[in-house]
Amino acid sequence: MSAYLIETIGLTKKFGEQIGVKNLGLHVPQGKIYGLLGRNGAGKTTTMRMLLNFVHPTSGTILLFGTDYKKQPDKTYRKIGSIIETPGFYDNLTGRENLKILARLRGQHRKDGIDYALEVVELNKEANKIFSNYSLGMKQRLGIAAAIMHEPELLILDEPISGLDPIGIHEIRKFFLTLCKEKGITILISSHVLSEIEQLADIIGVMHEGRLLEEVDMIELRKRNRLYVTFTVSDVNTAALLLERQFGTSDYTVCDNRTIRLYDNIDRRGEINNCFVSNGLLVTTVSVSEEKLEDYFSELIGGGGIG
Amino acid sequence: MVNLLYCELLKLKRSKMLLISFLGALVTPSMMIADGIKIHYSKPDTIITFADLYDSCSLYTMMLFGLIVYSVIAAYLFSREYTEKTLKTILAVPVSKLTFIISKFIMLFIWIMTLTLISWASMFVLAALFGAAFEIAEFSTVVAVKYLGEMVLGGIFMFLTITPFAFLAIWTKGLVVPIITAAAIAMGNVALSNEALGALYPWTASLMLIRGEITQTGYPYLLVITLIAIVSILGFLASIIYFQREDIK
Repeated sequence: MSAYLIETIGLTKKFGEQIGVKNLGLHVPQGKIYGLLGRNGAGKTTTMRMLLNFVHPTSGTILLFGTDYKKQPDKTYRKIGSIIETPGFYDNLTGRENLKILARLRGQHRKDGIDYALEVVELNKEANKIFSNYSLGMKQRLGIAAAIMHEPELLILDEPISGLDPIGIHEIRKFFLTLCKEKGITILISSHVLSEIEQLADIIGVMHEGRLLEEVDMIELRKRNRLYVTFTVSDVNTAALLLERQFGTSDYTVCDNRTIRLYDNIDRRGEINNCFVSNGLLVTTVSVSEEKLEDYFSELIGGGGIG
Repeated sequence: MVNLLYCELLKLKRSKMLLISFLGALVTPSMMIADGIKIHYSKPDTIITFADLYDSCSLYTMMLFGLIVYSVIAAYLFSREYTEKTLKTILAVPVSKLTFIISKFIMLFIWIMTLTLISWASMFVLAALFGAAFEIAEFSTVVAVKYLGEMVLGGIFMFLTITPFAFLAIWTKGLVVPIITAAAIAMGNVALSNEALGALYPWTASLMLIRGEITQTGYPYLLVITLIAIVSILGFLASIIYFQREDIK
């Protein structure tokens, strides 16, 4: 059996001439939270729809629990809970009745599954309210309840906390972490908000324009975050030349015509400053900073923010 | 399948469409009674028979009002899953697309037959009241039972010929196109109901078949039945194939 609960090989989806997802190789290990990160339109939702068999891939392979997703779909998808964008429920039914439909169709895993799920998302007091009268946050919470009520082994969640208030976000995030760490449930969660993913995920996959640019372990990623020193100088070309000739480093980036960012020789920044000044450069700022994840992802997708 | 049907019924709880459709089933019988009252006063010598009322009720249900009401129901049943974005919730359970769509057709059949029975029963009750207040000839359960058979058969034919509207609802994901199409088909019924060509128009032909009027048109039964079957099967197959192949958004 594959080490991954979700694995895709060369997964591609074309919408006419337009490419939604291209040659995707996703690897979601068991018992981890995998954050799929990308800007709006990066292909995250299409990927998740393909994983859930809502969208037919143009080409490629999807392995769920180590087997082809089309073999025994009934057995496979019973072990999965999902939310794709805004959850859809019947407007004329109460929250409880909506969950009852799903429980009836799925077969109840536990007798108190509906109550358990409603309690987890704190909707037990609103369970008998008509769905059309729910607020956006309540609708989202009912979607989460529907996804977890049968205690799935895998959760596929597309932007699950959008629409929740800050306390709700905190509670649900805590709940997802508990599900993963204590019950060993694997979670694939997508978001275009880095801070959301950063606090949850063990592994991050970055998507951009339908491609998976990188899959990286968060521990590794945090190690990669480096300190750097920023010099604001009167002439970046001379500064760059001095760094290379006097300090033998090329590990710098020129941010604009006055700012240069140096990633090594941090401890020698005073010495470097003296060198710049003695070579006729006007140095207005020397500051030490840490490269944030946001910068890293921004660089990865070629500029622009994630969110 | 039983669970799916149970869920289809549960989905109609508090549904305004259910109430509206029940009221819709009362419209044709009520109109027949209203027409009877008008005749009673405008042409007092005219004898209104129980069979006349049922005959007109069956005619207007199959040619006009029923066609539109049942098309709206078909469109509602199939399109609401798109408008309420519930497909991604239900199909993720998982439920097979084929089973799901078949359960929808069965639900449509149950709904149409229920409305047919409501129309028949309400016609019986209203005719009895009409008879008590004015006068009605040949009021008997024998006549009522005869027309029960005709109306049930009519309901079955209407279900069979309404499948293209289900496809239109799936294809357009809304009510508008099926309703406009149903109105156009109903206009065709009006134009062809007294013409021999009506035998080649499946929605009119259904009524002609039930009433044994096909022989008078000169067209062979096999041709008429084949045309009805083609429309029905095309509606079923197009719905199933399109639903199976389309991506769920």
